[in-house]
Amino acid sequence: MVMLRGFLVLSVFFLLGEASRIVFALPVSGGVIGMILLTFTLMVRGNISDSLAQASQALISVLVLLIMPGVVGIFFQAGEFSGQWLAIGSALVVGTLLSVLTTLWLLRHFVTDSQKGASHD
Amino acid sequence: MTDLMDGLAALIHTLSNTLVDSPSTNSVLAITLTLGAFLAANRLFRAMRSPVWLPPVLIAACLLSAFLVLLTLDYQNYRDGAQWLTVLLGPTTVALGVPLYQQMHHIRALWRPILFTLPIAAPLAAGYAILIATALGASPEVIASIAPKSVTAPIAMGITEQLGGSVSLLMGSLLITGVVATVFVDLATRWMKISDHRIIGFALGLNGHAVGTARAFELGPTAGAFASLGMGLTGIFTALILPFAFGLFG
Repeated sequence: MVMLRGFLVLSVFFLLGEASRIVFALPVSGGVIGMILLTFTLMVRGNISDSLAQASQALISVLVLLIMPGVVGIFFQAGEFSGQWLAIGSALVVGTLLSVLTTLWLLRHFVTDSQKGASHD
Repeated sequence: MTDLMDGLAALIHTLSNTLVDSPSTNSVLAITLTLGAFLAANRLFRAMRSPVWLPPVLIAACLLSAFLVLLTLDYQNYRDGAQWLTVLLGPTTVALGVPLYQQMHHIRALWRPILFTLPIAAPLAAGYAILIATALGASPEVIASIAPKSVTAPIAMGITEQLGGSVSLLMGSLLITGVVATVFVDLATRWMKISDHRIIGFALGLNGHAVGTARAFELGPTAGAFASLGMGLTGIFTALILPFAFGLFG
């Protein structure tokens, strides 16, 4: 019962997100808008109910289960992308290598910078 | 012997395709197969002592496709039956706001590096892939499918649907990206001599979404918290920027 109350909150925020997407013609999915609305609501309220925390935890822990139907599709629809696998593979592997290096370099730069700044204060 | 095998195969084919005829049985069949593959994959993953290069989602996907092939089930049919699971992705995306809110004190503590890194690194995570794929002649559908490769699955699905890509190709891309990002972060932090768990965690979440975040939690709670934060912020940022960027250039 407790968890269902949390699930109700999540569904309401999802519907609010979908409604804002349609009303404001946003290119962002309703789930993401709902998530941002929920985060801001929680920040304004400054606390979170047990039921919402439980329901979120439960859904997030079975996330892999929920995405499975989409994931297996790649085995059955791979033929549609034949001839493009070199482009796809390079984009994923080389692109990820570059973005990992960029992220680490930026973070190291700014974290040491801000710590230096803090020690001056 | 072959007669027996053929007979058995024909029986399975008839039986499974009769079950599929009724929409409600088709749903229960699809959910049973998915649930079975998911639980078996989690057990196998633990039995193999949690290998970084083989996350549970990959094991589950292999098992599930094996089930579908063995039962001669049509993928589209299975997908229709599994609607009951897929429909929960919307509320689950909303649920990601909860850990994000719970991580808020980390943002306050390290807001400056986050503020400077995120707006550069998150668009680049998509940008590098888009540039490389375009240079190698990928179709617009492929580019729309792999662009949100560093974004957590429920958010990424929303983005790809908005951009007109293939959800299946996106899912495969997410899997590959998650695994290689985890391996690259491991190697690069050793090479760059970075030992700050806040940096390692944030980089894992930003580039490797849920797969990287799972790895970060193995390193420790600090790395895990920063990975969740990196994953959540990258998801939101990419979801807000990418569709507009595609609108401008596409």
